[in-house]
This record gives sequence, structure tokens and C-alpha cells, in this order.
Amino acid sequence: MPLETEARAELRALVADFAPNDGQLMAALHRVQHRYGYISREALEVVAEQLEMFPAHVYGAASFYDEFRLEPPASTTIRWCSGPACRLENGNGIRDAMLAVLGFDDLGERTDDGRIEMVNGQCNGTCEQAPLVWVERPFEHERRVVGKLTAAEAIRITREIRDGESIDGGHETVF
Amino acid sequence: MAMITLNGKSIEVDEGLPLVEVIKDQGITITNLCYIDGLEPYAGCRTCIVEIEEARPTEIQLACTSKTADGMVIRTETEAVKHTRQGVMSMILANHPDRCLTCHRRVHCMPGDICLRDDVVTHRCLTCSKNYRCELQTSCEIVDMGEFSEPWVGESRSYYETPPPEPDRGNPYLEFDPQMCIICTRCVRACDDLRHTGALTLSGKGHSTMIAFGTGGQIHESDCDFCGACIDVCPTATLMEKPNKWRGLAEDWTNSACNGCSVGCTLSYGTANDQPVIVRPDRINPVSRDQICVRGRFGYTDVPERERLIRSLIRNGDRLLPADNFDQALDIAATSLATVKESAGADAIAVLGSPLATTEEAYVLGRLAREAIGTEHIDFSHGPLHRAVTEAFVSGLGTDQLPANLTDIEKARTIVVIGGDIEESHQVVSLRVKDAVKKHGAKLILISNRWSELVPFSEQWLQPFPGQEAATAQALADGLSSSTTHIPDTAVENTADAIATLRLAIANAESNIPVILAPTAGHGAVRAGGEAIAAVNLSIAIHSSEAAHNLYYLPTDANVIGLTDAGIVPGSTENDFPNIIEKAKNGTIKALVLHNDNPLLNTPGTPDIESALANLEVLIVIDSLKSTATQHATVVLAELPFHAKDGTLTSADRRIIRQRPAGAPQGDEREGIAILTALARALGTPINYNSAADVMRDISSSVVGYVPYDELTRSPGKIRALVESESTTAQQLPAPTVSTIPPVSDGLAIITGRSLFTSWAAASIHSDEADKLHREESALVHPQDAESVGIRNGDQAILASMANAGSELRIRIRLDDGISPGSIYIPHYYDGGALMRLMPLTSSAEPTTLMLQAMQPA
Ligand code: SF4
Ligand code: SF4
Ligand code: SF4
Ligand code: SF4
Ligand code: FES
Ligand code: FES
Repeated sequence: MPLETEARAELRALVADFAPNDGQLMAALHRVQHRYGYISREALEVVAEQLEMFPAHVYGAASFYDEFRLEPPASTTIRWCSGPACRLENGNGIRDAMLAVLGFDDLGERTDDGRIEMVNGQCNGTCEQAPLVWVERPFEHERRVVGKLTAAEAIRITREIRDGESIDGGHETVF
Repeated sequence: MAMITLNGKSIEVDEGLPLVEVIKDQGITITNLCYIDGLEPYAGCRTCIVEIEEARPTEIQLACTSKTADGMVIRTETEAVKHTRQGVMSMILANHPDRCLTCHRRVHCMPGDICLRDDVVTHRCLTCSKNYRCELQTSCEIVDMGEFSEPWVGESRSYYETPPPEPDRGNPYLEFDPQMCIICTRCVRACDDLRHTGALTLSGKGHSTMIAFGTGGQIHESDCDFCGACIDVCPTATLMEKPNKWRGLAEDWTNSACNGCSVGCTLSYGTANDQPVIVRPDRINPVSRDQICVRGRFGYTDVPERERLIRSLIRNGDRLLPADNFDQALDIAATSLATVKESAGADAIAVLGSPLATTEEAYVLGRLAREAIGTEHIDFSHGPLHRAVTEAFVSGLGTDQLPANLTDIEKARTIVVIGGDIEESHQVVSLRVKDAVKKHGAKLILISNRWSELVPFSEQWLQPFPGQEAATAQALADGLSSSTTHIPDTAVENTADAIATLRLAIANAESNIPVILAPTAGHGAVRAGGEAIAAVNLSIAIHSSEAAHNLYYLPTDANVIGLTDAGIVPGSTENDFPNIIEKAKNGTIKALVLHNDNPLLNTPGTPDIESALANLEVLIVIDSLKSTATQHATVVLAELPFHAKDGTLTSADRRIIRQRPAGAPQGDEREGIAILTALARALGTPINYNSAADVMRDISSSVVGYVPYDELTRSPGKIRALVESESTTAQQLPAPTVSTIPPVSDGLAIITGRSLFTSWAAASIHSDEADKLHREESALVHPQDAESVGIRNGDQAILASMANAGSELRIRIRLDDGISPGSIYIPHYYDGGALMRLMPLTSSAEPTTLMLQAMQPA
């Protein structure tokens, strides 16, 4: 029997109001991610127990959505929008430029110091800003839309993030 | 009934059957890479395409989702069907490593050849572990992929565009190499729907979809029980047994039995070069059907080749040395027994049998004891425990031959389980309990002193303190019998709810409410007897005169019932196992014949048993391995290991299961029957049997319920050694005596049990590899108790015996809140049965306790 630790008790309290067979898996996962910035193995297990599901099935659902993180997040995440409007506005070029600055081969990678990562994002309807990325600082619960990017701007911003400077421009949303 | 026309032939079948199963039953080959017989169709692979006349919107239909209907006209081999199947197959193969599967030239290429299409023939079935036994490979043959005009000639197949995913080779049972996976999800559905374990899932999405275990880690970190149900259904080389991955290609198959526990699952051994190389479930047993557990699947690999005893041994001073030949060893054995008999009388010789042996061997052993030696000192180490249980049955129910049938469990709507963790000890029965819960919403009442995997399946878990199991079951019986609903204050939590559950079931006129009793061997005879009394009373309270038909008894070891039916019972209590040990200690018994058992591992009281064995003048051991007991032997006669034996087992519900030899003898190993009859003859009594079948003819003429082999062969797995008497009584018994809960100052109460992954045979030879997963190498202690002695999770600690002064055990401690404070769980087979050293030979109603001490003062 998994031992009840403090971490588990805290997780259990966090999802205590969700009931089995209520279609609430996504809501429970969102809540965990919001609190911790990601969904740990232990959290998957606790959610499974609370919803009377097998842990593997919770993992299957969580791993389906790129939005759920199963590893602790980097302190800065560049979420690149893969939606159609952004692509029409040279989104792929923006992506490749940013990847190159960070020395990444592909999305989903992280700098060696673990500080910055760049991940895939989905359109959330802010297409008037296309092409865009979201710059997220999950520990500060902060997300900024940086849009209408040109390749040159994308490179500049990425360098600023890489070098640890705060970036200017964009709309800040606190979440 | 429906008349259908299948490839021009009219046949009558049941209406609404999955068409794919009907087609296969008719002996027509059809690819169906994602279908699992008996489960809901998944309709993912699309390889089961057939043509159904007038079907809408198209005549091309899936055979797995189509159901038979009257007038249906089906064709499985038209051009359109064939072409569509090939197209589908080529999509599947796009992401599979073997391009040879689609090459018409492949017959010309050998491994290492230069291929005309590629450069070197590397990726191909010939270098794959599943070659010649692979369903995907066969399916490609069936649809003639070699003649299909591939869309990707000069191709770049997606398989070659991404690096292959990492295999998982981190455990000793199951290898997972996802580069071969075709995402048919059969494994996921087998684990969910056939096992209710849910260790597997589809993870990710789109092109990166993969099969994953647990929460995405390694297999052994997930809930996987290594039962191998997923291996059985995997159509590729993705999920494979580890021990035989590269040599599991069988030349021949032998139907046989598992002796891992008393469920008696039937196995099918694949053999090559006269040795078993693979195990599959054999469906002929209606209890186990297509399922077995990790012990059945891998049991034959438990004893490493070098540890197998293939030559008889003779004592020479301090050492046991190989005999020149069998006859020399036999001669010494017979002469030394004869000498003891001459000087001290036949009663100075004792005989111990084993529930791991066949019924036929037990019968011959009984004759050897009574006729050739002339002693009544005959028993087996679990004998007292077994008799404590069956005596309760006889006094309450008038018989110990319970007619309850294990196939009824999965159909029940309410179930009571009393005793240990049957998920670990009797996994396939546990599976049938889960079937009932998952498929019919059955309510499970669990009486168990520790958390087990069944707890999440239960409606009520009653957790008695060790020693209170019988009282807890009795409280249910009392609660049902009295008209009031008053529950004593001493009753464990959930007692009232459990009574309510049972009342409801009775009110609903449920006639099938199994009461399953699985006593823990390590807790001793008195407690097992108490639990049996309470189980009898509970079954009577629920079922009155039908009590015997609903009471199940799961002995720990495989053939306890066959062994006792065959006559391994002491002449009187004076002659039973504890008395044999006492008499050997004080020198009244001077010689012992020990067949196939290791009492040092099986039963509490190691210090006494050890001094008894050491004190013997003559110890003849007949066994297939060098156990801790053979170290005291005068002569060891090398016997075949169980999987190579011929005979039968009688399972928990008295099913006579045929065991057929898989693999040839090695060295100078003999059949148990041959050794025992030879010994009898050498002692001057002509007991002659040529084969196990011969022995069974004798058994069937003297023991009611047993039948000769030809009858067993006619209805395999179905014949039960049972005389159903018309009038079974149902007589409530006086409540069992139970202990009081010991005060904390008396130490922690021991809980033990049979663990799933630790092998009996390997534990008996004290092999480091006995616990292959290293899961059972710690004791479980409640955090509260650990804290009071300053022990943290993972610390080494000393467990000091209170029963046997001076005996202690070092073990790692794992904190666990699945046991009650004041108790400690130690696996029975840990370190060759080291726990048995801390427990007394004579059993009592009180739980044995021990002192937990930190290695360094905290
Ligand atoms: S899994 Fe089957 S089809 Fe694939 S390479 Fe291996 S043997 Fe060939
Ligand atoms: S071995 Fe059994 S428990 Fe493990 S994943 Fe396969 S089916 Fe599930
Ligand atoms: S591992 Fe085997 S059974 Fe599971 S999805 Fe892959 S190919 Fe199918
Ligand atoms: S449940 Fe028992 S008989 Fe069946 S395979 Fe497992 S150990 Fe063997
Ligand atoms: S496509 Fe990028 S925000 Fe909608
Ligand atoms: S077997 Fe019918 S779709 Fe796979």
C-alpha cells in the first residue's frame, strides 16, 4: 500500500472534491498542474485513487495533451503556437529561428541548465496576434503573449530570454 | 439460430456471434490483428475485412464488429477483400522494422546477405526473437504481402525516419521493445479486461502514440503483476517473456499443471531439445481458462540449471558427494533404513510427504511407509494445519469434501474472502473475484489483516488485528444469526456494513455467495482451524443447508488435497508432524524419509526442526534440488523436477488435473514413483508400478472420486474427486477460541504470507535469486511503530524472536500503513524462510510476536 506522506496528503486534499465517474479527470489534472506547474507521478497516482481509475489510464490521458506537463517546468517556457493562422504568417520560420538561437533540434527540448524550454502550443483564438508565442514563467504564474513577430524580432527576444534579460513588448496576463 | 453462407457453404450458427470468431471456428484463415476472442471488438487494425453481401454502406465490412444474422452471405477471399487487406497491412508495416515482409524476393535472402533493395539484410524477421511464431509475420503471409505492389518502392518508410524508442529490459520477466509495436492495443485490453490490473495504456497521440506502463516509468514501477496475459495476445515481438525471449520457439506442446498453488491452473509447456522453453495457459481448465500467474508462467525457470540435482548424493563425513550411480545410493538408503528398523523398530522411522508432489507419488510413498517400512509416523509439514481446517468442515458440514465449484465465483454478486492476500497466494482465484466485481458489480467483503490489491475492489474491508481473523468472521456469522443489529464494541470497523451487505444479498435471494477461506500457513494450525470454524459458521448463517456448496478452501500449496486423499495422514495425533519432530529431537525417531519437501522453509519452528534433522541417524531425501534440508541428509536420491513429472494434482476445488512431463530427465534423475518403488523393493516389499497411470488405477479402485487416466483425458480439468453425499449437515459450531490483542510491550505481532514473486524452489535452496524482483526483501512496519524505535523508511533493523530465544533476523524496513499499528509483515519465503526461525513449532491462537530494534541506537 502506498505510504501516506505529507506530499500525498497535500495532493489528496487538493483533489478531494472530485468524485469517480464524473468526467472530472481533466479538471483534476488542470488543478494539479496549476498548483505545482506540472503533474508528478505521485500526483497521477493520487488522482487515479481519487477517481477510482488505474494510474496508467490517468497517465494515458495526461500524456495525450501537450498542455499537461509531466516533468517540472523550466523557469521560462516559450510556447510556440502551432495553429493555422500563425502558420500562414510564417509561424514555422519563427519556430526555426527561435530553436536555432537556443540550440535546439526540436520542440520539447530544454537548455542544459534546465532554465528555458520551448514547447508546442495550440491556438487559443488570439489569432489577430499571429504569428505568436507565449512566454510563460510558471513559478510566477505569469504568461505573456508576444505576437506579430518577425523573424528578426523572434531572434532578438529569444536572445534576451537566453541571456536572462527581461523582455519588452507583449501583453502580460497573470494566471 | 441463423443460417449463414460462408464462402459458398451454408452453416447454422448462433445469432449475434462475432463473425470473426465464426470464421475462425470454421477453420478459415483470417487476419485479425487487434481482436481478442471473447472481448469487445476494438476495430483498430482493419485486417479482418470480408465481403458481406448487401451490407451498407459498403459490402466491405469488418468481421470483428459484424455479428452473425440469418441469411448473411460472407466471402472472405474475393479480390476486393484481398486487395483491401493488403492495403491495410501495408499501412501497418509502414512503421514496422521488417521490410522483408513486403518483399517478393525475400525467399532468396539469408541473414547477412546483400539485399537487392536495401544494402544489408539486417532488419528482418530472421533476426527477430519472434521469427516463426509471430502473428504479424503469419498475417503478412496470409494476405500475400510479397505480391502486393507496395506504395513505397524506393521508399522512405516512416519507421526509418525516427530513432527507435527505448526498450525496457529492467525486470526479469517481461521485455518490452516498442519498435515492433503496431499499436493494436490488445495488451492494454488484456490487462484491463482479462486481468483488471490496468498496468498498460496508450500514451501520447498521433505519430508518437506508444504503449506505456503505469505512469510512464519502467514496467516494474507500474502495477504490473507479470502475469503475461499481454504477452499471450501481443501479435509482434514487442512484449516477450525475458527468460526465453530468444529460445521460445517450441517444437512440441505438452498439456500440464502448475504446482505454484492450489488453484491448479493448466499450463501448456512448449518444449525444444527435450526441455521446456515457454509456457502458455491451456484453456481446458474451466477455472483458469486462458489465464495463469507469474509463478505458472516462469516457475520452470526458478531453479538455475547448475542448482538442479541431477545425480544422487551420498554422505561422506561432512560432505555430500555424488554417488557412482543410482543403485549405489539406493542401496545405502535401503540398508541404513533396514538397520534402524532392525535395531529400533519400524516406529523409529518417519516419513514426510509433500504437497508439491503428485498424488501418485504420495500414494506410493504411503505404501512405502506402511507396507515396506511399517510405520504410522506419516505426515507432511502442513498436515496439522490442513487437518485443523478439515476437522471444522467435518464437524460442521459432515464432510471435508466441499462440493463448492471455483467456476461459480465469477458469477457471484456477493463474495466473502477470509484470510491472507489471495492476490499473491492464489492469483487466478483472486482474478475470478475481480471478474465478479468488475463484470457484475459484485460486492466483496474482505477479512484480511493487511492491505492487498483486492482492497480497492472491495465493498468492505475488515482489518482484524493478527489473531482476530476468526473472531471477525464469526462476528459476521453472529450478526446474521441474531435478529438484532447490535454489534459488539470490540468488532472491527465495517463489521456492521458487511453484515448489512450480506443481509441484502440474502434478502435478494442470492444463492451464490462464496465464502472463500485462505488460511496462512505461517500463522499455524490453531489459527487456521479457528478461521475454518468461523468460515463454516458464516457459510451456514448465509446458506443454511447449502453451506458446503458455497464454502471454498484454498490450501497454500498445490496438492494438499491429493496428498491426503492418497493416504499421507498420520496413524494418530501421536504420529503427526510436530510429534515426529519432537521424537526425532529426543532420539525416539532415528530415521526419516523426506520426499520433495523442506520443512525448514515451510513451517514455523526452524530451531526445533533443525535439531531434529541433525539428531537423526538416517535422513533419506528424495528431491530435485539441494535444499537447506538435504544438508542433513545421509543419502539424497535425485528426482525429476515437477515440470518433468507424470501424474496428477487435486486442486482446491478437488479438480483432478493431469501433469504431463515436459522435458526429459537429465543426468541420473528418476521419476519419483520409480525411486519410491525401488526403495520399497530394496526393503523387501515388492511394490511394482511401471507408470503413474498404473498407480492411478490402484488409487481409483481404493479412493472414492478418483478415476483412471483415460477418463481424465476424456474430460480434462472437469473431473472432481468428490462424492457428493445427499445429506450434508449444516451444524453451527461453537465459536472459535481467539486470542486477545497483545499489549505493545509484548512486541509486534507477526503477519506473514506467500508472496507472488518469490519462488518456493529457489527459496528452498536459499538462492539469492529467489526473489527475482527484490520486492519481498523488506519487512513492513507501521510508521507509528517505526517512529517509536527510531527507524526510518529503508533502515536495516533487527527482529528478535520472543518465542525462540537468541533467534534474530536482520532485514530492511519499509514503512507501510496497510498493516495495523502493533503488527509487522515479513514475507514467509524471505531469505530462505528465515522468519520461521523466529516462530514456535507448536501453534497457538495468539499471534507470535517479536521485538523490533534499530541497528544503531537511535
Ligand atoms: S515482430 Fe514479427 S513481423 Fe515483426 S520483425 Fe519480428 S517476427 Fe517479423
Ligand atoms: S504482464 Fe499482466 S499485469 Fe503486466 S502488463 Fe501484462 S497483462 Fe498487465
Ligand atoms: S505491444 Fe503488442 S499487443 Fe500491445 S499494442 Fe503493441 S503490438 Fe499490440
Ligand atoms: S494461480 Fe496458482 S496454479 Fe495458477 S498459475 Fe498461479 S501459482 Fe500456478
Ligand atoms: S493560430 Fe496561433 S493563435 Fe490561433
Ligand atoms: S480484428 Fe477487426 S479491425 Fe482488427
